[in-house]
Amino acid sequence: MATKPHVIQLAIWLLAALPAALALLFVTPADYASSGTVLNMLGRLSGIWGLSCLLVAAMLSCRVPGFDQPFGGLTKLWQLHHKLGLSGFILLLAHPLLLAFGAAEESLTAAVASLFSTRLALLAGWAALLALMVFMLPTFHLLGEPDYQRWKKLHRLAGITVLFGLSHTMALGRTFPASWHALLWGSSGLLALSAMAYRWVFSRYYGRYSYRISKVSPLADSVVELSLQPLTKPLRYRPGQFVYLRPDALELSAGNGEEHPFTLSSAPSAPVLRICIKALGDASRALQHIAVGSCVTVEGPYGNFLPLSMAPGRSLWIAGGIGIVPFLSYLRHSASQHNALDVQLIYCVEDKAHLLFADELSQLAATIDGCRLTVHFFNRDGPLDSRFVAEHCPDVSARKVWICGPAPLLCRSRAILRRAGVATGDIVTEAFTLL
Amino acid sequence: MKQLSFAAFISFWSVAGTLFVLSLLVPAPRSVEPADRRYTLQDIARHHSVDDCWMAIAGQVYDFSQFIPKHPAPAATMVAWCGKEATQGMKTKGYGNDHSPAAWAMAEAYRIGVLKSE
Repeated sequence: MATKPHVIQLAIWLLAALPAALALLFVTPADYASSGTVLNMLGRLSGIWGLSCLLVAAMLSCRVPGFDQPFGGLTKLWQLHHKLGLSGFILLLAHPLLLAFGAAEESLTAAVASLFSTRLALLAGWAALLALMVFMLPTFHLLGEPDYQRWKKLHRLAGITVLFGLSHTMALGRTFPASWHALLWGSSGLLALSAMAYRWVFSRYYGRYSYRISKVSPLADSVVELSLQPLTKPLRYRPGQFVYLRPDALELSAGNGEEHPFTLSSAPSAPVLRICIKALGDASRALQHIAVGSCVTVEGPYGNFLPLSMAPGRSLWIAGGIGIVPFLSYLRHSASQHNALDVQLIYCVEDKAHLLFADELSQLAATIDGCRLTVHFFNRDGPLDSRFVAEHCPDVSARKVWICGPAPLLCRSRAILRRAGVATGDIVTEAFTLL
Repeated sequence: MKQLSFAAFISFWSVAGTLFVLSLLVPAPRSVEPADRRYTLQDIARHHSVDDCWMAIAGQVYDFSQFIPKHPAPAATMVAWCGKEATQGMKTKGYGNDHSPAAWAMAEAYRIGVLKSE
């Protein structure tokens, strides 16, 4: 039986805390001799724990296809990576201040000397901390939602943080005996740097597939479905998974050569790969007009939204707008395999003009045994509410629920389902945003 | 968690900035010991125990008797250098890593004179 994602996530948090826990073995009575020594010890522990959080976050950033599965999909893995990074950030901010407070017991000069010095090891620590601050700042959304590509480029400073942070620790760390020190930071640093090297260098040789655009089908205002013909071996994937698409089309007004995540809409057995793209930014807007015949690279697959088993039992699917895509992929697959389902699909859109795949969804619902489709129009029915869900899915409390759509719909649906008696563990969500 | 991180970020610069400004504004304390008093290695060698521990480091002489209980490593680590020229111990910690700038600054508080060449 596969290990549950929350158990894996807990194990990752414990792994990040392990060096600090080991450091406690080497705490001596001298560390409690005065308030200054206690602060010094806490400063060292926060540095060890903070660096460890960053190294584990770096290890999780490799994005090897399949690596995200035990974590519940790439979005869940990114959330874990993000929380580890924030934890490391807070701990590493506390680290120099606690050391300075500890040194203040001797003199103010000693406190300031512990913070500001021209010594190389200390400068390496500052370089690591400043790089960390620079790439963490967009996370705080001080200037609104950060530009995705700019944020990704800025995030490469993480490499500087890891390299300089390790150099600083290797030169100044004194909590562990020398052999432990070298083994601990050497091995965890090597793993983190290997993961980053994979992401930045080797990923282009593994997990990427070449395709050519064979058809561009406009579906609604600002939404297209691209059909892709494989140029070499085709991608193997499950319904509901997503890929990173990188176009190689000079005529694009924006986003050429940039990678962006998009959900696959085709059935895995289909001869062509199909990807739905909604214009949400410059690059996705430009992709609405990509020429047939253009080459693209696809990296993936990622995500673990819909279950491995093709018989998910009694289910309720709630889709919002472009969030219909993973469910469409699943329905196309079920139809191609003649699988029966027990699914109530509630598809929420603003109005008829925004209804995607209207004819095909109706046809699939009519073809697949046990599949019922209900469309919820926001402009006609108002926001999705308990009454609407109860009317169209009276046995909701006995069903497992999958939701894909914008954050407000996820939030609203969760509240409706909790009121209806659906257990939190029976609600699976997939958000659009990866930041 | 984002709000907590942002609060930590602002707090960090507030505290680091305050410490830096204070270091510029507060005059350095005057040494109560005759910092220019000269000692030979023979003088230092007489203070070689955990309760009476002098060391010569980089041309300076220190009385670490009061500091040994505060040192993070076990007392034996420092006692091994008591009564001796201990620059190597200070600069390598036994495995090649120098003490931190804060440690050097802390040592200043225990300086009692300079080493007289024999």
